[in-house]
Amino acid sequence: MTPAERPLSPFQLGSIYKLQLTSVLSFSHRATGVGLSVGTVFLVWWLVAAASGDDAFAAAQWFFGSWLGLLLLLGWCFAFFFHLCNGIRHLFWDAGLGFELRTAYASGWTVVAASGVLTAIAFAAGLLVRG
Amino acid sequence: MAEFRLPANSRIRTGVTHEAPPGAREVRKFRIYRFDPASGENPRLDTFELDAADCGPMVLDALIRIKDSVDSSLTFRRSCREGICGSCAMNIDGVNRLACTTSLHDLGREIRIYPLPHMPVVKDLVADLTQFYAQYASVKPWLQAQSPAPPDSERLQSKEEQERIDRPAACILCACCSTACPSYWWNSDRYLGPAALLAAYRWIIDSRDEATGERLDALEDPFKLYRCHTIMNCTDVCPKDLNPAKAIAEIKKMLVQRQN
Repeated sequence: MTPAERPLSPFQLGSIYKLQLTSVLSFSHRATGVGLSVGTVFLVWWLVAAASGDDAFAAAQWFFGSWLGLLLLLGWCFAFFFHLCNGIRHLFWDAGLGFELRTAYASGWTVVAASGVLTAIAFAAGLLVRG
Repeated sequence: MAEFRLPANSRIRTGVTHEAPPGAREVRKFRIYRFDPASGENPRLDTFELDAADCGPMVLDALIRIKDSVDSSLTFRRSCREGICGSCAMNIDGVNRLACTTSLHDLGREIRIYPLPHMPVVKDLVADLTQFYAQYASVKPWLQAQSPAPPDSERLQSKEEQERIDRPAACILCACCSTACPSYWWNSDRYLGPAALLAAYRWIIDSRDEATGERLDALEDPFKLYRCHTIMNCTDVCPKDLNPAKAIAEIKKMLVQRQN
């Protein structure tokens, strides 16, 4: 049996290899990055609508005020704060700091908590301003 | 490219169950990955029920017990049974560890055992480590020096210089770290992986080595080094409590610093 014919040992995260905070936060960082890129398209749509006139802007406002729009905004809000906080964590790593396993876990949980709290504050503030 | 499913020849079938011997007092279930290259069939997951009261305390003891008294064809690597040879690394209950230093007491009643993840399987729990070793060899893991050694002594180091390489040099090349790394799963053809990079770091910071520049040149590559995205599964899993993630970060820092 040549190496190419050999079966590949199972590796799937979750079912075969345990999901750990280390890998989950890393994948989340990438997923939120992709999510934010998609969100930027919607942000551009909103700005273009604002520049195009009352009708277009009203349509955009209606969409973002609908339950689906609010849900997407909540998602982007969390994605923004998570990507930001975890990005700061990456900056420390780039400086060679925070690599001890205990520190990495502590900073990981801090990122999760901070992005949750910041999302709640920002979203609540947004809803208040909207009235 | 990241793939999330196993290729068709690698999907796992349901295997056979070997029931516990009559009168067993403490039954533990071992679900073990089996692959027989001679059969031409896909891998399967066999279940072995074992009386833990009649078995040594470690996962390796259970595997040896199964091989001795239930199925002599069960194939796995083992040697020192004390965590220094690195032979019995495998995926035990979802995490890569050494079977010889993993206590059955720390695991549940049902224990899943697979070979090291995302590797070609030779047989059962034996993964093909050819590429892993080739990657290790590619970082030239030996002392390189132009200046001759002192005629009447070894190349000496200060205590501090020795302490810097103490930990990285303690790597046993078990491959737990590299095969726990999702980046290595998907780019192992071009990314060196945490184990080889830890070895590279060990020689880069060795005060006696004179090839530091060449070693750094060899690693300055988008794939060999920079496929590390600081996931930290490597450090999480190392059975010797080493820190490959930090070693890789230090190499990245050195590459930036030498540009100034």
